[in-house]
Amino acid sequence: MFLTRDEEAILNGERGCGAQRAMELLVAIGTVYEAECLLPIRSAHLSGVSYKTIGEGGLDFLADMASDARVAVRTTLNPAGMDLARWEEMGVSKRFADRQLEIIDSYSKMGVETNCTCTPYLAGNLPRKGDTVAWAESSALSYVNSIVGARTNREGGPGALAASILGKTPAYGLHLDSNRKPTVVIEAEIGGGVLDYALLGQVVGKKVANAVPYFRKIRPNPDEAKTLAAAMAASGSVAMFHIEGMTPEANDADLKGLERIGVGRKDLTDARESLSTGREPDLIALGCPHLSEAEVRELASMLKGRSKKTEIDVWFCTSKAMMERCPREVEVLERFGRVLCDTCMVVAPIEDHYSCTATNSAKACNYLPTLCSQKVVCASAAELMEMVT
Amino acid sequence: MILRGRGISGGAARGPIVALDSPFNFLGGVDPSTGLLSNSKEVDIAGKVFAFPAGKGSTVGSYTMLEMKRQGTLPVAILNRKAEPIVTTGAVMCGIPLVDSIEVSLLRSGDTAVVDGTEGAVEVEGVEWKSVVTSILTKGDKFLILRRSGMVGTFRGKWAGVSGYVEVGEEPIQTALKEMSEEVGVTDAELFRQTDPIVIRSAGTVWEIHPFLFKVKDETITTDWEHTEHRWIVPDELPAFDTVPGFGRVIETLLSGKSTSVRTR
Repeated sequence: MFLTRDEEAILNGERGCGAQRAMELLVAIGTVYEAECLLPIRSAHLSGVSYKTIGEGGLDFLADMASDARVAVRTTLNPAGMDLARWEEMGVSKRFADRQLEIIDSYSKMGVETNCTCTPYLAGNLPRKGDTVAWAESSALSYVNSIVGARTNREGGPGALAASILGKTPAYGLHLDSNRKPTVVIEAEIGGGVLDYALLGQVVGKKVANAVPYFRKIRPNPDEAKTLAAAMAASGSVAMFHIEGMTPEANDADLKGLERIGVGRKDLTDARESLSTGREPDLIALGCPHLSEAEVRELASMLKGRSKKTEIDVWFCTSKAMMERCPREVEVLERFGRVLCDTCMVVAPIEDHYSCTATNSAKACNYLPTLCSQKVVCASAAELMEMVT
Repeated sequence: MILRGRGISGGAARGPIVALDSPFNFLGGVDPSTGLLSNSKEVDIAGKVFAFPAGKGSTVGSYTMLEMKRQGTLPVAILNRKAEPIVTTGAVMCGIPLVDSIEVSLLRSGDTAVVDGTEGAVEVEGVEWKSVVTSILTKGDKFLILRRSGMVGTFRGKWAGVSGYVEVGEEPIQTALKEMSEEVGVTDAELFRQTDPIVIRSAGTVWEIHPFLFKVKDETITTDWEHTEHRWIVPDELPAFDTVPGFGRVIETLLSGKSTSVRTR
């Protein structure tokens, strides 16, 4: 990979250990993918935040980096293992909380914004069409590639951190035009609503793995697109997709000769059945990815004037920004459960208190059994709210 | 033997090899507190040169490697056929050498390797690299196999093609023509096909075999001291013969013509 004199100097340690380690990482990844050079980025979004996933090894690494490295571009953070303010209410242990706060502190020292959310694009960190960025968090990066038209690879947490410190990322993969073109066409005959789009993503991700699907005949709203992106990145590893008439690059797509896959109602029903492994939830959790402002308002209007008639705990996971935008709706939701920020049911240690979780997120349904030892009930938001009232 | 690959993560280390033949997931594949592999509790990768084809699975695997470093159970170096970002990230964060484009099937657990992650070189101690040719002579649907005599240096009594060491400064095709003339007295065969070398490990030796397929006009041959018998057989008969290592693959690549790297002349 070609390095400028300045980049060579960083690699030789002339700008400190943290920057040197970051450059070593970008050069290694660039070598693996045969990138020609580094590209400047406008923003970064980091995963690798929850103490539950990164552990003591990750904690030490971040403390080390924070001793002399600072981020060079706007950088936001993925959900942590707890609501940074209300962790005690969640039943999180003091030991876990202390370590989680240490991790957040290291990121903060490096200049990273510490409102932890998987939907940074709703909370102020919204790239522009054509921007080169380095984002981790599979659902968010797929969203900004596909709906916004920004350009990012499927970064891991440390790779995105290295990019944010240097303000650069290796030129390979989805930074190159040729890799952003559709490779398979999906003819979808489905209804609508967040759950349908979650299940569509579940089906397509499984079928196409890491391909670039092109969707015809669908017109999701932003929340449906958000859950579609999340599901495809969880059941497969889709980092870029096209929706006809919606994706900025979809107009230029050449579909000649591509394989065509049909997805219909029956596929969605089958997917829902195969994801549902439990019957009686002890936790109902919405907000994977984090609830948008529209979703918070919709849930509040569903619940307004009703009262809670169950002992089941309910979590509404969202970002601080959304919570601040709709205080009255949050008040309504709080009568039925907890409106939590900075975290979600997948990265919090819910296995300490719950064994069966109900959700409308296909992404969560994929990860809850392995990461949180949960049985899963897959249902729409309306069905979940019926269980509560 | 020195294998050359791509240096992905720098630094140098020496240690005994642990070699796997399938892709490896650090998350769940190893117990970070002991360094023992989850699927075979006797295998310990702590302090070893850990060789596997490629990384796979969760990106959390990079953090598992950091945790192993913290607990002192990390391998001293990693060798891959094809590196991917999870293991690459872990190796760089932990500061251990990673070399890829290494044919890990040539390594055996128990070999000792010196890894140079900066140069991308791996020296496997006590293992020799030998370059040989194997020529298959065909006539119609039959081909020639020969039984190696008790006077040759290796694989005595085994069945093989016309073979010999590629001498320093010699092109494999030159070796092939020379051996054919010496061993079976054939000088007018037509070269029909050759493929990229087949590289195999047998005990302490790695054999780089250059396969050649020749067409001959008749079945008359004159063997020298290196062979005791010969036969003209069809491919189906081959399993009945006790052949030298890699011979089946040589036959398969040459006769099928399906090898990805076939060159014809």
